[in-house]
Amino acid sequence: MQVKFWGTRGSLPVAMKADKVRGKIVQALQAARGKNLDDDQAIADFVDNELDFSVAGTYGGASSCVEIDFGNDEFVLCDMGSGLREFGFDSLRRINEGGKKGAYSFFMSHPHWDHIMGFPFFAPAFMPTNNLKIVGGHDIEFALRRQQDNPSFPVPLDWMGAPREFQVMKDGEVLDTGAFTVKIRKQPHHGDSYGYRFEKGGKTVVYTTDAEHKLDDLDDFDAHIEFMRGADLVIFDTMYSMADAISVKEDWGHSSNIVAVDMCHQAGVKHLAMFHHEPVFDDAMILQNHTETIRYEELVRPGDDVLRISCAYDGLVIDV
Amino acid sequence: MECRKENKDGVIVLVVDGAIDHETAAAFEQAVMPSLDEAEAAGTGLVFDMSGVDYMSSVGLRVLMLAAKAAKQKSISVVVAGLQATLAEIFQISRFDKIFTIYDTADAAVAGVRG
Ligand SMILES: [Zn+2]
Ligand SMILES: [Zn+2]
Repeated sequence: MQVKFWGTRGSLPVAMKADKVRGKIVQALQAARGKNLDDDQAIADFVDNELDFSVAGTYGGASSCVEIDFGNDEFVLCDMGSGLREFGFDSLRRINEGGKKGAYSFFMSHPHWDHIMGFPFFAPAFMPTNNLKIVGGHDIEFALRRQQDNPSFPVPLDWMGAPREFQVMKDGEVLDTGAFTVKIRKQPHHGDSYGYRFEKGGKTVVYTTDAEHKLDDLDDFDAHIEFMRGADLVIFDTMYSMADAISVKEDWGHSSNIVAVDMCHQAGVKHLAMFHHEPVFDDAMILQNHTETIRYEELVRPGDDVLRISCAYDGLVIDV
Repeated sequence: MECRKENKDGVIVLVVDGAIDHETAAAFEQAVMPSLDEAEAAGTGLVFDMSGVDYMSSVGLRVLMLAAKAAKQKSISVVVAGLQATLAEIFQISRFDKIFTIYDTADAAVAGVRG
């Protein structure tokens, strides 16, 4: 399996402004002082190896959209945030190049706006030769239709020519697609959200976002740990700091890096991808969160098994 | 984990030793809540002397947060003292250092609470 992140931001897409770009350039040039950067390869190596990701790159600002490639000719996605627009064009390119066909399956965490806003801009949905299957625990069709109804958008849903099929799954249900199996779990969030556990050939990826796992809700805590048990990769909502998640932002529907690490430790997860980043945070703050989360894992690690921690960014690819 | 209660100049000091994890968090919570009532009755506050705590995960942080919330309702102060290096880092990473006043020693904390 290969996981590709097309949108990793929570709640609202964001874009970097000129002052942030300027700040990165200033920092890069400061770091370059006194270095021998006479040839292009030396410059590329310096950028790749000596600058922080928050200086040399960016976490991006598109909202939730994650692709899981099971190595067959179909496309599988989790959520339709604003990252879906770019995925759509890329998928058409890959169909043209061969190896993929226009079959798209979506597994929807929930119909909050940041998780469906990419759909009206998803070019493959306008082409009658493509097929869409949209799976969720909610009535996603209602949400997609309403999003494109007058006066919110000029093109109604039924104008989009690709045949659509909607499937509602129940909490705990397992779907066997032939290419992979997927189990759905209802999660605590405003109006509920759903996590998905994908399995294929002994490998497991769990997509679990927009969930507030409260430390005093032991039933949810234990059930979610079982849901993630032994996963090779868990994509987890780490939007808030622990202090915020259980004080000023309690009941806002999101979890923290601390809870993510503790749950992954107990579930024996191998790799955690921090996800659904706070839109207020700039690249430096997200990098700091990532660094601190790695350190926290080290401080509370129960045995010798290291929980690998990535911080998802738009464009990140993880092989599982 | 062990929890011992002391009264220093009217301030309730909870001296905690050992690890606060999934196994011990419930016992920790049970020790904390009556201490808050005592601190309220004394009209002072509660000091967590954490100098003997070498491990604390999110369940322990949760109990501290519950204490902070209860203390706010009772209009008393709850402070933390004597964090070992590891715990100080966990406080910083979880941003609990922005919620609690942290003292180097329990004595300094008692003096701080007494104003
Ligand atoms: Zn969201
Ligand atoms: Zn949501």
